Amino acid sequence: MHNRASLLLAVAIAALSAWAIFSALAWPWKAKLFPLVISIPLLCLALAEVLWVLLGATSGARAADFRLSEEHPPEVVRRRTLIAVAWIAGFFVLVLLLGFLVAVPLFVLAYLKLQGKEGWLFAIAFTALLWAAFYGLFDELLHLPFPSGWLLEWLGLA
Amino acid sequence: MLDALWEGLLLILQWKPFAFMLVGVLVGFWVGLLPGIGGATTLALMLPFIYTMQPVEAFAFLLGMHSVVATTGDITSILFGVPGEATTAAIILDGHAMAKRGEAGRALGAALTASLIGALIGAAALALAVPIVRPLVLTFGSPELFMLAIVGLAFIASLSAQGARGMVRGFLAGGLGLLLAMVGQDPQAGVGRFTLDTLYLWQGLDLVPVLVGLFAIPEIIDLAVRGTSIAGDVPTGHIRRGALEGVKDVFRHPFLTVRCALIGTFIGITPGLGGAVAQWMAYGHATQSARNAEERKGFGAGDVRGVIGPGAACNSKEGGALIPTIAFGVPGSTSMAILLGGFFLLGLVPGPDMLTKHLSLTFSLVWTIVLANLITVAVCVLLLNHLAGLTNVAGHRLIPAILVLVFIGSFTSNSNYADLVVTLVFGAVGYLMVLAGWPRAPLVLGLVLGKIAENYLYISVARYGAGWLTRPVVLVLLAIAVAVVCYPVIQAWRGRHRAKHA
Repeated sequence: MHNRASLLLAVAIAALSAWAIFSALAWPWKAKLFPLVISIPLLCLALAEVLWVLLGATSGARAADFRLSEEHPPEVVRRRTLIAVAWIAGFFVLVLLLGFLVAVPLFVLAYLKLQGKEGWLFAIAFTALLWAAFYGLFDELLHLPFPSGWLLEWLGLA
Repeated sequence: MLDALWEGLLLILQWKPFAFMLVGVLVGFWVGLLPGIGGATTLALMLPFIYTMQPVEAFAFLLGMHSVVATTGDITSILFGVPGEATTAAIILDGHAMAKRGEAGRALGAALTASLIGALIGAAALALAVPIVRPLVLTFGSPELFMLAIVGLAFIASLSAQGARGMVRGFLAGGLGLLLAMVGQDPQAGVGRFTLDTLYLWQGLDLVPVLVGLFAIPEIIDLAVRGTSIAGDVPTGHIRRGALEGVKDVFRHPFLTVRCALIGTFIGITPGLGGAVAQWMAYGHATQSARNAEERKGFGAGDVRGVIGPGAACNSKEGGALIPTIAFGVPGSTSMAILLGGFFLLGLVPGPDMLTKHLSLTFSLVWTIVLANLITVAVCVLLLNHLAGLTNVAGHRLIPAILVLVFIGSFTSNSNYADLVVTLVFGAVGYLMVLAGWPRAPLVLGLVLGKIAENYLYISVARYGAGWLTRPVVLVLLAIAVAVVCYPVIQAWRGRHRAKHA
């Protein structure tokens, strides 16, 4: 899994730097100096990493960074990861369609009820508290503009 | 200099900066206690809030938060054997062992006191470094500043992962960051670079949506994978009892406390090592302080010196880490790289200006570390018995709250839905990097330093031609960068050579 993720990243960086070199060639020297200085060695390093992975060299080197927990079996991790990604994507779609003001309470309530299996009383109270904090801070206090969402605009409810 | 130090104190004691610092301390207090979210992630999440703040308020808020995370992280580590923060893992060995044999209060008293002393020593190091570093920084021109950016990247890329392979990944991440920094209109020729023909990318990638995605999304997914709260239902009992004994323990080992705090400060100054290294080095030093093998056996089984060492080092590193960040714009850790992003969001450029024009602001950072830690330790001592309960917040209650904060924080940077797309894309990149064991800090540093590094390179070439490469300080910095890259490779080769001949 680690090697597959590494391969994916290295291939993506190689493609990105190749595209950067190709694009930069058409620019005046002022604009292409830095992109070329960075992209050429970056392409070489990315190809080296791709070769490393393809030749099957495993790396014991772990970054001094946050690590994902390894306490559950891989199939449980995969299922829970997919569920988490679906919730994140769902929230994004909700924000696009309904806007923040509606999407925030809807998402929080749905997550607490469906994923967290919380009781109605707690779920509603927690949602109300979070929504009040969000609305009070960002809308009332900071006056940040939050669009109404595509669906509400299309229905003329915005 | 003393005037600026005094002015710094007065700045932070104004009601607004002080109030923002208290809010920061409150957030940091929670973040440290909760094992689910890290200090760097929270720093990234809080960046959108500083747009409307004055610099002194913004840094009181950010640094107030960041400088107490390790202090309260110790509490979770000691009570539950689960690191509240990645930087508070070493304290578990003896701290949790003490808690299990009913000496949680003593361990906490020792950890909190050592943390406070460590923070004060780190802050003093930062204050003392200013007059030493200032004349050096003021002699730097564009070529030297460009090379400093390269040295910073070399440090963080080569030290944030092990071995030659780890270093390649570090450089790949750093290079990707530099490449991403070039997105948008080029400042010299006015050409739109890598904009994908969109107006949104014409002004470049905004730092906040990138950082929020890169750090928060992987942690949210991991929190969801773990399921319930880690702290769970571990009984803690009456933990306040014995805290005074722990305080006395620190004063029974004053030299050990100071030495470990100095180790933390030194590691903080050294770019790329970070807090996770500081705690283990301090722990190692504490075990060395045992006079004989019999005494050494106690380490890992609940020796209070194993709590004092990492406790002191964890907090002293913050003051140390701020020295290269402020003076040279070379952050030593992920958190400092994000904090550096905060400087740019506020229109401040680290380097000579921070040691001349904004000197009192720099000293206000010193005072923020001191005051935030004093307040936190006092609150911790008062609430010691109730703190354990705070760690029982279930993951599924945290996730929607953090996700709302992620989306809003990202959206508010440009009030554009494209910000959310950037966050999600970099969330996926961050998750892949964590999964593959690639360091994220070099990417952040590349992204933060990319624009100014390009500017310095362009000025250097335009002003001096190829001659900028022969300036003495540039050559010294180049040698340092080469040494930083070569050293781990040579070290690994020597290790293999020795093993072969053993």
